[in-house]
Amino acid sequence: MDLLNNLALGFTVALSFQNLLWCFLGVLLGTLVGVLPGIGPVATIAMLLPVTFTLPPVSALIMLAGIYYGAQYGGSTTAILVNLPGESSSVVTALDGYQMARQGRAGPALGMAAIGSFFAGTVSTLVIALFAPPLAEVALKFGPTEYFSLMVLGLIAAVVLAHGSLIKAIAMVILGLLLGLVGTDVNSGVARYSFGISELSDGIGFVTVAMGVFGIAEIMANLQQKDTRDIFVAKIDRLLPSMEDIKKCIPSVLRGTVLGSALGILPGGGALLASFAAYTLEKKSAKPPRNFGKGDIRGVAAPESANNAGAQTSFIPLLTLGIPSNPVMALMIGAMMIQGIAPGPQVMTERPQLFWGMIASMWVGNLMLVILNLPLIGMWIKLLTVPYRLLYPAILVFCAIGVYSVNNASFDIYMMAIFAVLGYVWVKLECEPAPLILGFILGPMMEENLRRAMLLSRGDPSVFFTKPISAVLLGISLVLLLIVLSPSIKKKREEAFQEA
Amino acid sequence: MKIRAPKDFWAGLMFIAFGVGFAWVAQNYQMGTSVRMGPAYFPTMLGGILAVIGLWILIQSLIVAGGPVGKFYFRPLILIVLATVLFGVLLKPLGLVLSLAVLVGVGAFGGFEFRWKEVTILYVVLAIFSVLVFVKGLGLPIPVWPGE
Amino acid sequence: MQRLLSLVVAAAAVALAAPAPAQTYPSKPIRFVVPFPPGGPLDITGRAIAQKLAESWGQPVVVDNRPGAGGGIGAELVAKSPGDGYTLLMGAVSTHAINPSLYAKVPYDPQKDFVPVALVAQVPNILVVNPSLPVHSVKELIDYARAKPGALSFGSGSTGSTGHLAGELFKTMAGVDMVHIPYKGGAPAMQDLLAGQTQLMFDNLANALPQVKAGKLRALAVTTSKRSPAVPDLPTVAESGLPGFDLTTWFGVFVPAGTPPETVAKLNAEIVKALASKDLAERLAAMGTVPPERNTPESFAAFVRAEAAKYAQVVKSSGARVD
Repeated sequence: MDLLNNLALGFTVALSFQNLLWCFLGVLLGTLVGVLPGIGPVATIAMLLPVTFTLPPVSALIMLAGIYYGAQYGGSTTAILVNLPGESSSVVTALDGYQMARQGRAGPALGMAAIGSFFAGTVSTLVIALFAPPLAEVALKFGPTEYFSLMVLGLIAAVVLAHGSLIKAIAMVILGLLLGLVGTDVNSGVARYSFGISELSDGIGFVTVAMGVFGIAEIMANLQQKDTRDIFVAKIDRLLPSMEDIKKCIPSVLRGTVLGSALGILPGGGALLASFAAYTLEKKSAKPPRNFGKGDIRGVAAPESANNAGAQTSFIPLLTLGIPSNPVMALMIGAMMIQGIAPGPQVMTERPQLFWGMIASMWVGNLMLVILNLPLIGMWIKLLTVPYRLLYPAILVFCAIGVYSVNNASFDIYMMAIFAVLGYVWVKLECEPAPLILGFILGPMMEENLRRAMLLSRGDPSVFFTKPISAVLLGISLVLLLIVLSPSIKKKREEAFQEA
Repeated sequence: MKIRAPKDFWAGLMFIAFGVGFAWVAQNYQMGTSVRMGPAYFPTMLGGILAVIGLWILIQSLIVAGGPVGKFYFRPLILIVLATVLFGVLLKPLGLVLSLAVLVGVGAFGGFEFRWKEVTILYVVLAIFSVLVFVKGLGLPIPVWPGE
Repeated sequence: MQRLLSLVVAAAAVALAAPAPAQTYPSKPIRFVVPFPPGGPLDITGRAIAQKLAESWGQPVVVDNRPGAGGGIGAELVAKSPGDGYTLLMGAVSTHAINPSLYAKVPYDPQKDFVPVALVAQVPNILVVNPSLPVHSVKELIDYARAKPGALSFGSGSTGSTGHLAGELFKTMAGVDMVHIPYKGGAPAMQDLLAGQTQLMFDNLANALPQVKAGKLRALAVTTSKRSPAVPDLPTVAESGLPGFDLTTWFGVFVPAGTPPETVAKLNAEIVKALASKDLAERLAAMGTVPPERNTPESFAAFVRAEAAKYAQVVKSSGARVD
């Protein structure tokens, strides 16, 4: 059967000693880079591109791919340990993961993240192997109208992310949307809200906001008490998730994997949306008792599976159509061009070793990552036993250098400080940052697609409802909105009845 | 008119301020029409909605009881922010090693337990690690010493 | 007293003997500012050049990505740097020819603040259409567009890019009405073109060619005045009915004004050598680049001046503007 033959070919390529070595180097480096806030896979891959000149093409791409999904693993680690989401997709992991760490359950959190990610990686590798070309065609069906409707759905999901006041969550989403609009407007070229500062003309970076609002504000909040010994529970519960934990998470991992595989194919932000959507879905469909936001392990398992599945399937547009779905893929295209490979639809047929070798090595890489990360958990736990008064300056250092390294600009450090203050204020006012971050990421994309859809339809808004995919997405959004609002409507009605 | 929920009161006020602020600045750009939206369209609309929601939260805070605003602890707030900003300012002229001293020193001061020996050792470790990993290892173009 | 005198004499002797012999350039690491995000063809080529320079001179040449404002942030940074040869800029058609005319205000003077060193690459754009569009030549496209004004949409990687301006120039010269759809980068623009959301595009050769070869897009012409060696069978827009049409995406190395001419000459020689090296030359050819006959600082400077003047004209006649 064709699939088996292809996979066999792929594995012979991936399991060659040389490629195994490069894969290992890639995932190791990726994990390290993911753990360090700020420096991300993009910068690392860019710096390593010249190294790839000298390597054979398959090895080079295997290593670079390893860096990419290795960084996903690494980013989740810091999100769980110190509330620092290294990648935008780890923001959601931080919500419950960090709470688990505070409760002494960092081990199970990290372990579940690794296990969930491995499962998702395996499944999505199969998905790629089986369905890459048809999935790519589906991805092409998503035009600006469909993306816009997807973003609307995503935003309503963002509101669900919050566990406090619904209306404040909505307000935070909108505030996030507005903050996301800072920068050059794609459609007109005008620099909005930049006040003449050139560093703002490309917008506020995600890293800047995340470091400030999640990382530093958290430090400031923790330093409130004179005695910082209770920040992290000294008694470590266990190092790995129990069988019970794992069983509990099976549905979550499955849901996350499906969602991640589906959304990852969409170029331009699909993988991002995957982890948010998975968390939201989980919140609404997990069996009670639910503890989301306070350390529910399923709140780690679902988004982690989703973001790993999404990271793998985001290779599909690259490998089948030659279109990069995110900046990392654009770099991979660069690497391919350096090797003289013109990325495009013919890569699959003209260079099967490359195509299948990469797919097989994705699975190998995932395996390596689990083997690497599980033992490391012990080390990370030890790290948390360092007294907080010594830990937090280290966090501060990594945040500061990390944020600087994104654009080599001190300006970003100042912006991070501003967001740290804002984050602190928001904590005091009980306004949650997670919906804001989602709005921040989705806002500009939503507006861009809305205006582009209107441009393409020459001003006809009915397009959103006449195009089938878009209509379906908007329909789901409406249903979700009703589900979200109905508890509060019910509550209001109950209050009304009580007063009557 | 009594503020029954100070936390929500100030939150509402903040949202109104942001909403109005964003909408107002947006007036510098073209509005366009709803068919061909200009750069000001979306922000103005969103700013308006935000302000309205903020107003709603504010009004609610006058009617329904709620919690007080969390206590502000100024020492960690100011010192951590100061440490970060100073680092940003001093990084280029003084280089990584020296500005890290300021970051760690002032930052450590933001906590309540400052012990010289500990902080110094921590600083040395962090400085060595940072130079090795970020500058030498990853090749980031960060000046290490003054005048680079 | 004796002692003081001999101390003074010693000090004077040291002071007079002090000026060290002028160190050969380069004697410390060089910073190569690339004003675009990592990964694009400009960045990758820059890194390759940086590596070759570093190998040749034994000094690290560090690439510093400073994206933003169409290349303006990085350009501004270098414009304000000392002209000592230790800060280089990978400038492009956007930073030195288009932006000054497109933006109301640019925080540097492209002519006065820089000394051009060497041209690195000139990449043609090609006019590609979605195969569903029933046109097979530029002439047919123009006829189609004239018959259906406002029906065609063309995408580009950003407002003010050569893809955008090529489209505007086409509209003006051919007298047709098409709608420009800006995207954030070439990839999303290409995606929508493949999907048929837009109908045509003036994309750069390296990106578009694989799709053409795979049959997903149809190529109509190249935007340069001469045919490209990478696609010798493809006519130019100029010879297809719009004589005088000439647009390329180019990028090259600049240094801040005030850099000594010997340093500039040395940089030029080394860069030209790097460009001629086997692997770089191959890569540039794959991008569709046409090497210039002469590549001296003076010829490059003249080229930049001519491009700036040309784009001033193109931008004005197209009416494109950015505030």
